[in-house]
Amino acid sequence: MAISNRGVMSNTEWRSPKGRLIAVIYFLILTVAAVFVLFPFLFSFTAGFKTSLEVYKPGFHLLPEKWNWKNYADAWQRFKMVRMFVNTAIAAGGGVLAQIIVSTMAAYSLARLRPIGRNVIRALILITMAVPGIAYLVPRYIIMTNLPLIHVSLVNSFWGLWIPYACSSFMILVLTNAFEQIPKPFFEIAQVDGASDVRMFFMVALPLTSSLILVLGLLAFIALWGDFLWPYLILRNSELQTVSVRLFTLTRSFPINLYLAGSFIAMLPPTIAAFFLSTKIKGGLTI
Amino acid sequence: MELTKTITAFTKIETKPRQRINWKSQRLAYLFLFPALILFGLICWYPIFQTIMYSFQEVNLSGFKGWVGFDNYRRMFGNPIFYIVWRNTLTYVLLSIAIGSMVPIVLALMINEMRRLSAFFQTLVYLPVLIPVVVGLIVWRQIYAPEGGILNGLLQLVGIPPQLWLQNPALAKPAIVVIMTWLGAGGTVLIYLSGLREIPLELYEAAELDGFSVLKRIWFITLPHISARIKIMLVLQIIFVAQVFTEPFILTAGGPANSTRSPVLEIYDTAFNQNNFGLASAWSVSMLVVLSIFSILYIFLQKKRPGEV
Repeated sequence: MAISNRGVMSNTEWRSPKGRLIAVIYFLILTVAAVFVLFPFLFSFTAGFKTSLEVYKPGFHLLPEKWNWKNYADAWQRFKMVRMFVNTAIAAGGGVLAQIIVSTMAAYSLARLRPIGRNVIRALILITMAVPGIAYLVPRYIIMTNLPLIHVSLVNSFWGLWIPYACSSFMILVLTNAFEQIPKPFFEIAQVDGASDVRMFFMVALPLTSSLILVLGLLAFIALWGDFLWPYLILRNSELQTVSVRLFTLTRSFPINLYLAGSFIAMLPPTIAAFFLSTKIKGGLTI
Repeated sequence: MELTKTITAFTKIETKPRQRINWKSQRLAYLFLFPALILFGLICWYPIFQTIMYSFQEVNLSGFKGWVGFDNYRRMFGNPIFYIVWRNTLTYVLLSIAIGSMVPIVLALMINEMRRLSAFFQTLVYLPVLIPVVVGLIVWRQIYAPEGGILNGLLQLVGIPPQLWLQNPALAKPAIVVIMTWLGAGGTVLIYLSGLREIPLELYEAAELDGFSVLKRIWFITLPHISARIKIMLVLQIIFVAQVFTEPFILTAGGPANSTRSPVLEIYDTAFNQNNFGLASAWSVSMLVVLSIFSILYIFLQKKRPGEV
């Protein structure tokens, strides 16, 4: 008989005096962890209301003397935060889309279409997983400033982000595995019905792995949303900069209370998304 | 089931004569691979090759200046910074294992055991993973700040004198590792949680009937079941921590006295501030060698559990 409702401890154990003590200890430790996690959020939220003189005042005072709502309005307008968010959404969204298109096509070919030399190609893709991207940052940057053959610079262009973002050996690897694990009869029935390989890609392979693709896309979006070094090198024009790049450059020239307010605003969208998507992420992290 | 078998048998016979290369299907196969091949070539394979070439050249943003043999490597090994930076990396890795590697295991165990609020705590610890690293760092910089830093204010309440967290060479690295744990622990917690949920509950039931204490159950059942994940996460942690860049770049710029300088920060400075791409590439090759070893170890461990993150 399957047991569905217990942890390391059974429910009766959990309700015994000893179990209750353990529960209280667990709860306290988790609460401490929660406070530690939330503290920077809380700190930037309240510091955003202070005057910059008050932020620098020594001693522990979390709450501002006066709640200056104007700081948040100022940060929102002077940092052009709408622009910032739109740029980040374009960069990350385009990157994820490119990644999904490139990876699903390559994975389908590797898993189903048996190209000659597929083992070499697989090995080459696996190598890029073993070599950290940071180790070839410099030549990659030079290539982006002067594309071979066409001699175009992609500095200050979203293409300079989308092109590197499109390459994900991880996504190709996971999707190749997934396509290989689709039971053969799905394809064979389609074949009997006269479906071509291209048609089977759209009608069999993609629909059967759509939830996996969604999770992979979500994880990629989170990673690209917070990317810093590459956008910092590519997007020099402040009108194009993403949240990370813009806030970093702004801290040099704006008062502290404003950029703490701006930082808090920048933390809000992912936080709200987290509570909506928590079930999705939970289910999908192990593929 | 019967139908499946029939179809499989049927197609087996049919695929036999198709051993010869079918050029039409090969064209399609490469059409599907084409975008990936072009992009990986441009973004990964060619730059990896170029890095190795550059490391033997004098080259900067304006272009190729000439071949210099092993000069870049000689300069790199001759510079005391090289040894400081790699020692820093080792310290980062050891500190992060000491401070950060246990935290996710303990949190995952507790979150999994909670009968209520389990989902709430899980979402909460994952939160820092979702916010852009830079934004988190900007806030942390002010928490640690010597002037009006709230951490010093907090410690004053319990009578500890103010510290220069990021300006004191002895404290700067641990301070950064604490932030790295804050940023990264949540993701690892989720991975361990999914492992914990796969453990058959019958095992705990049987162990309880046999009189095993809670600690013994965790030691003999829980930990062995997630040990493969723990190994993979440790190797991944080493790979990530060895590539640390954003934290020292934003919080300390490598200071005080190079005590937080990391290899990637050195590559960045050499390439983009000193405009010496050749020397930066020699540095990159040294990173490539070190990290590839750990990456191969990761892929090797991963092979035993295919398909997992």
